[in-house]
Amino acid sequence: MKSAAVRVFVLGAFVAVPFIETNSYWLHIFGVALIGAILALGLQLLIGMAGLLSLGQGAFYGIGAYVSAVLTLHFGVPFPIAFFFAGVVAALSSLLLVPIVKLQGSSLAVATLGFNIIIYLVLLNEDWATGGSYGLLNVPLPRIFGYELTTERDMYFFCLFVAALVYLALDRLVNSRFGRALKAISQDEDAARACGISINRYKSKCFLVAAFTAGIAGSLYAHHARYLNPNDFTFTKSIEILIMVVVGGLGSLPGAVIGAIVIVLMPEYLRSAGELRLILFGVLVVVLMGFSRGGIAGLAPMLVQRITQYRLPWQAKVSESREMK
Amino acid sequence: MTVLLRTEQLSCRFDGLVAVGVVDLSVQAGDVHGLIGPNGAGKTTFLNLISGHTRPTGGTIYFNGNDLGAMPPERRAAAGIRRTFQNLRLFREMTAIENVMVGLHANTQSEIFQSLIRTGRQKQEEREIAERAREALDFVGLLGSADAIAGSLPYGHQRLLEIARAFVAKPKLILADEPAAGLNGAEASRLVGLIRRIQAAGVTVMLVEHHIQVVMRACDRITVLNYGKKLADGSPADIRDHSGVIEAYLGTKPIYTRSERRETPEARHAAP
Repeated sequence: MKSAAVRVFVLGAFVAVPFIETNSYWLHIFGVALIGAILALGLQLLIGMAGLLSLGQGAFYGIGAYVSAVLTLHFGVPFPIAFFFAGVVAALSSLLLVPIVKLQGSSLAVATLGFNIIIYLVLLNEDWATGGSYGLLNVPLPRIFGYELTTERDMYFFCLFVAALVYLALDRLVNSRFGRALKAISQDEDAARACGISINRYKSKCFLVAAFTAGIAGSLYAHHARYLNPNDFTFTKSIEILIMVVVGGLGSLPGAVIGAIVIVLMPEYLRSAGELRLILFGVLVVVLMGFSRGGIAGLAPMLVQRITQYRLPWQAKVSESREMK
Repeated sequence: MTVLLRTEQLSCRFDGLVAVGVVDLSVQAGDVHGLIGPNGAGKTTFLNLISGHTRPTGGTIYFNGNDLGAMPPERRAAAGIRRTFQNLRLFREMTAIENVMVGLHANTQSEIFQSLIRTGRQKQEEREIAERAREALDFVGLLGSADAIAGSLPYGHQRLLEIARAFVAKPKLILADEPAAGLNGAEASRLVGLIRRIQAAGVTVMLVEHHIQVVMRACDRITVLNYGKKLADGSPADIRDHSGVIEAYLGTKPIYTRSERRETPEARHAAP
């Protein structure tokens, strides 16, 4: 199994990271990148597989983060349970979107964006639960079966564990009856219905899975950052997740992971450019998209094709003149 | 012989336009039933009404004795009505075998949970789906292209792939909308054989087709529509000799006197 070997190698590389880079600031950022990867994987299922352009993932992320923080902070619920509930509550709240899943393209994007704005306002104004604009301070460290994840390295490994699990789960889903139905819907709804696929039901299920994924990512974030503020969950977050997926490569799970890592780390590495860093970041994103529509994941096959099919100018002319005949 | 499909006073209007106007039609189980007629006669609309992709404005459709009512297309597919489309509606970016596997959606059960945990039953079901899809590809002669991307297949093969996707579930009825469109002579003749083999497998076929040789050779019964109305109904031989059918396709035969014939534009061009 070639792909299994590749997976073990990549996982090994991720495991090796904290032993090479021991600086706790960087380990914290790497943890954030892995949380971003989980978010991007969830959105990849929506956009890349089912063709559902959702700009509401930031809302489910926020719901997961606050549910987990409030449960552990105010009710003393153990972290593993809070973590699970973060996903469940986010998934259940996605059922609010059921009436709008039939919308297409940009209408769906705007409707989900509206949903994100509503959730943001709830987080901002329901001070009794969320602390309003002051946010929630001192979210407890995760404690799993009596072991507290105190160091950045511990947290990195936990994020890696969850990210790997999410990757595996989505990979299985994509290659199943469920995943085939989603891909079919994204390519031709009439034909999908003629094959017996109930469109709205499958779209709703897809939102449910993606929301669960975003919810547990939110829980990780809450206990990683240990401070929550509603401003972390505006629609800008949703758009950031979208950029991760598109830059990484639509329709590719490894692409989503790569996209998330690039989008989280690039601004950090560009810090030396000072004020210019966000402009540079923007330019790089634009250039990349102009260069490869398949994102980073589409870059390698494209380069291989360019090189193998490269023709010198006079060779090109020969083949053209042949076509003319 | 039992009646598999029966329409009663079936009609469909789009605003003022009558696409299908009050059609009574019966399809016998086990037949290949042709539906022909000039362009705009309402053949495709008729298929859409039966598959559920278009809602009728009046009348009833009975399938296997049950009123289909407002049943949506996905449930009709599960009940055993499958179709192909006039303008090729494949899942173009999926492989050929995946396309056919989707055709088994309504006949399988595995959901999210089973796929995540990979239960024994889910694995067993996936193996069966793949196996049946391979059989269906083999049936239409596309087994060699199983892993090719559907959109990259040659046109004739795409037509066959759509038939495989409809056939794989062994439905009771396949509605085939112009499967011979764009095929060359040899391919069209092979299509006739394929339709006959589908019939031999116990599937009733309703065939909308312009290719008259295909219709005459493949069908047991033919219904002719014109302007949304049923014009004739009978065996291929009956239809061939039906004066109204010839008129609908070719118009009435003009009767020229000798001098008039010389005046027709064709005659003037022919003799300089």
